[in-house]
Amino acid sequence: MLDKIKKYSWLIDSLMEAKWSTKKEVVHNFLNAKKKYVPKEKTNAKVGDILKCALCPNMCRFDCPVARVGNSEALTPAAKSRIAYLMEMGEIDFSGEFVDLMYKCAGCDASREWCPFDFSVEDLLVGVREDIVDKGLAPKALLELKDKLEKNHQIYDQSLIPPDTEAEKARILYFMGCTARAKVPDVVNTNIKLLEKSGLDFATIPDEWCCGAPLSTLGFKDSFYKFAEHNSRLINKSKCRTLVCDCPECAYVFRELYPKIGFRLKAEILPMNQFLLRLVEENKIKPAGLQGEFVYHDPCALSRKLNVCSAPRELLKSIPGLELKETYFSHRETRCCGMGGMLGITNPEISSKIGESRISELKEVCSNIVTACPTCELAFKNANKDKKVKVYDISEVLLKSLEK
Amino acid sequence: MNTPEKGYGVVYRPKKKLSEKKRKTVFKRLCDIVGPENFSDKEIDKIIYSRDFWPIALRWMLERKVPALPDCVVWPENTKQISDILKLANEESIPVVPFGEASGVLGGMIPVKGGILVDLKRMNKILKINDKDLTVTAQPGLNLMELERLLNKEGYTMGHSPQSIYCSSLGGNLATRAAGQFSTKYGKIDDMLISLEAVLPQGEVIRSKTVPKSSTGPRIDKMMLGSEGTLGIITEATLKIWPYPEKKELLSYAFEGMESGLECIRKILRRGIFPAVIRLYDEKETAFRFYQTGKAKDKCLLVLVLQGDKELVELETKVSQDVCRKHEGIECGEGPVIHWFETRFNVKEASDFAPREIIFDTIEVSVTWDKSIELYNSMISAMENVNGVIVAFAHASHFYPQGVCFYFIFGGTPVKGAEPNEFYTSVWDAAMRSCLDAGGSISHHHGIGLMRARWLGEELGQSFEILKKIKKSLDPKNIMNPGKMGL
Ligand SMILES: Cc1cc2nc3c(=O)[nH]c(=O)nc-3n(C[C@H](O)[C@H](O)[C@H](O)COP(=O)(O)OP(=O)(O)OC[C@H]3O[C@@H](n4cnc5c(N)ncnc54)[C@H](O)[C@@H]3O)c2cc1C
Ligand code: SF4
Ligand code: SF4
Repeated sequence: MLDKIKKYSWLIDSLMEAKWSTKKEVVHNFLNAKKKYVPKEKTNAKVGDILKCALCPNMCRFDCPVARVGNSEALTPAAKSRIAYLMEMGEIDFSGEFVDLMYKCAGCDASREWCPFDFSVEDLLVGVREDIVDKGLAPKALLELKDKLEKNHQIYDQSLIPPDTEAEKARILYFMGCTARAKVPDVVNTNIKLLEKSGLDFATIPDEWCCGAPLSTLGFKDSFYKFAEHNSRLINKSKCRTLVCDCPECAYVFRELYPKIGFRLKAEILPMNQFLLRLVEENKIKPAGLQGEFVYHDPCALSRKLNVCSAPRELLKSIPGLELKETYFSHRETRCCGMGGMLGITNPEISSKIGESRISELKEVCSNIVTACPTCELAFKNANKDKKVKVYDISEVLLKSLEK
Repeated sequence: MNTPEKGYGVVYRPKKKLSEKKRKTVFKRLCDIVGPENFSDKEIDKIIYSRDFWPIALRWMLERKVPALPDCVVWPENTKQISDILKLANEESIPVVPFGEASGVLGGMIPVKGGILVDLKRMNKILKINDKDLTVTAQPGLNLMELERLLNKEGYTMGHSPQSIYCSSLGGNLATRAAGQFSTKYGKIDDMLISLEAVLPQGEVIRSKTVPKSSTGPRIDKMMLGSEGTLGIITEATLKIWPYPEKKELLSYAFEGMESGLECIRKILRRGIFPAVIRLYDEKETAFRFYQTGKAKDKCLLVLVLQGDKELVELETKVSQDVCRKHEGIECGEGPVIHWFETRFNVKEASDFAPREIIFDTIEVSVTWDKSIELYNSMISAMENVNGVIVAFAHASHFYPQGVCFYFIFGGTPVKGAEPNEFYTSVWDAAMRSCLDAGGSISHHHGIGLMRARWLGEELGQSFEILKKIKKSLDPKNIMNPGKMGL
């Protein structure tokens, strides 16, 4: 409080000196004016914050991957907020291109690194998307996706790796995640092998449902609730103390989004690479060695949302012979793979351009790319058109080093 | 002005509207020039390309208005396309407005007469970094931070770091003659420019030679600097760069008043020392930004950053410290400078205060040393005397052996009965009047745009008539950014 008074002393002093009429007006406006500029009805969208963003000179624009590859003003963060604001205030209809724009975000939080308000643009947009859903105006393709998810409990049609069925007793649960199970099953197999080698008592989750990230991101909050309820019930009733996630986005959803809607997991939630580093440090896994240069790509969800930058690097450095390389844009200043925020589904063209742009930055450094997120891996595999680079998950590199 | 019941109003509506037939043929021809993927006449783009960061335009947003709508937006990919666009616009007498990243603060890119908005974003590459010559050649749509990060990656800096480095383009900076916060050492963008390419209003392309200096008549290319889109479109530029600084020293001192602080800075420069950053805040702004620095309470804080070659920086630091001590500056250490670095991009005033009906704006002017303190005092009191102004303070931030730039900030609220627009204009009127009376120049680096146009004639005198003649001969149909700079 004292600090606040000190901070605003310049304003308080100036107000003291001002004329009575000005003083009255300022205080009146300070307390009341804002209400005029937000909708009277309750909205899911945080319109006050959206307005602040719409009044910002776009201080984060230079690092927004969508704006960078799209090269159009409408794709910049503040522009999205301007359109969102006009829609929420009823000045333009929730329709067509205006609604479409609300989905053009990779949810990578690059913008947040530079934002004076610490806004997550994705959060701002999710509120608007929830309003779009409530008005019954969600794009058809997204509704179909939601229905499919509700039916299959997986985002992809097939899931190649079935979960374990006897996991009730294990202290460590491995949450595989839909992307890894369906799209990069090698990663799941690798992780299972690594966990087996460690000799720990672990299991996968019977009836594992998608963590719900796609639903939450697209504004289907009621469905998201069901998924959160299901997964947290399963996990909390098990003996699990540690929940290890392959996908950092799943870990983020468990750690940050579930509690927001009332589901707190009892287990410690860890991204796989952090868990593996622990196993290496405890000598439960002993990397023998692997020759070669590898450049590490920080996944947005891991580095920015979970603030994990050093664990994957230490894990790689623990492998004798492996030479760790860095891109200029790394750690929390990493650049997105393009697949976050459901962009690969809502806007595949923008998404793949972002992937190509990132892979070319990584390629400049060396031809072995390691990441710690199945979605990034998938994005890079798709973008690796000329097959000039090899893309690995960090677990795969670790396993290779054991098998030597 | 039109403010419908539902929907948004438009402040500037062009008197002459394009006929439907003409619109169709022009749009078709534009698509042929740039390709359909680089053309849009969608409402969403028209809304987004309707304003820059002019505070009154931000106000209009709260009042459910957009300033002005272009007829269409194009994203050219090369100089030839731009030349063809301008030829077409001339043939059809359609306005053309160049667009960088809309961080301009005076309404420069607002398409007040509609027309074709030319966004340069898709010309955003670095074409060449020349290590031996220490130059970079780049396209105008390149974002400045992108440029600086790519230079840093290769071991250089351009030394051009305006507060809008995150949100402005190279072309926009050249077109407004912008100044970075490290300008006392590295110069303003005008000083950095070596050569450029531009398309003039009737489609002619000019290209100057990349040489350090020549004596070959007046420099036509330099006319593009500060022309704010009224004389053509800058399509490429070669600029000076520097090796990334080896060493940085951060110093800060508190002074009894602006006069003693300014005197100290003048003496540092007189010794031939050019710290990259020099910023002297008056008492009120010191209280606003450095309230944690106890030693600076009720004083004026001076921030110095010296950077470059290690040995030179050491010497410059020593001399600067001596001069500061001699002028009774109270040493405040690195802390306030680190704080400045950490907060210099926290641009929050418009977002925090506009919805509370409090209007903030900045006014930057320049003046020679002999008139500096009088100008500072008279501009502050002129602004304070306007009904509704709560605060008016300033810092001095770009320095020369001959003088200084003052950067004023005012905040206030229209008192009962007054329109926000009226209030805002009356503060500007008072500030500009007192600046001209005190012998200053009405703009140091933000430019003219819409807001300052009224004073440009008085500022330039007969030269303004010559500027008009030049404009008329290059752009007889006045297609390039009409209505700006009083042209
Ligand atoms: C938060 C903030 C901080 C700022 N700090 C500074 C500062 O420290 N120093 C400073 O000098 N300014 C500053 N400004 C002002 C602004 O950033 C500059 O005026 C900048 O040069 C504008 O660049 P832009 O790319 O955004 O141009 P825009 O706003 O898009 O355009 C500016 C003008 O230039 C014209 N134009 C744009 N591109 C071209 C081109 N290629 N050829 C011809 N004409 C063109 C436009 O038509 C318009 O008239 C600041 C602004 C903000 C919002
Ligand atoms: S989250 Fe990523 S994609 Fe979305 S606005 Fe921010 S930077 Fe852009
Ligand atoms: S996210 Fe933050 S920095 Fe980016 S435009 Fe919005 S308010 Fe500005």
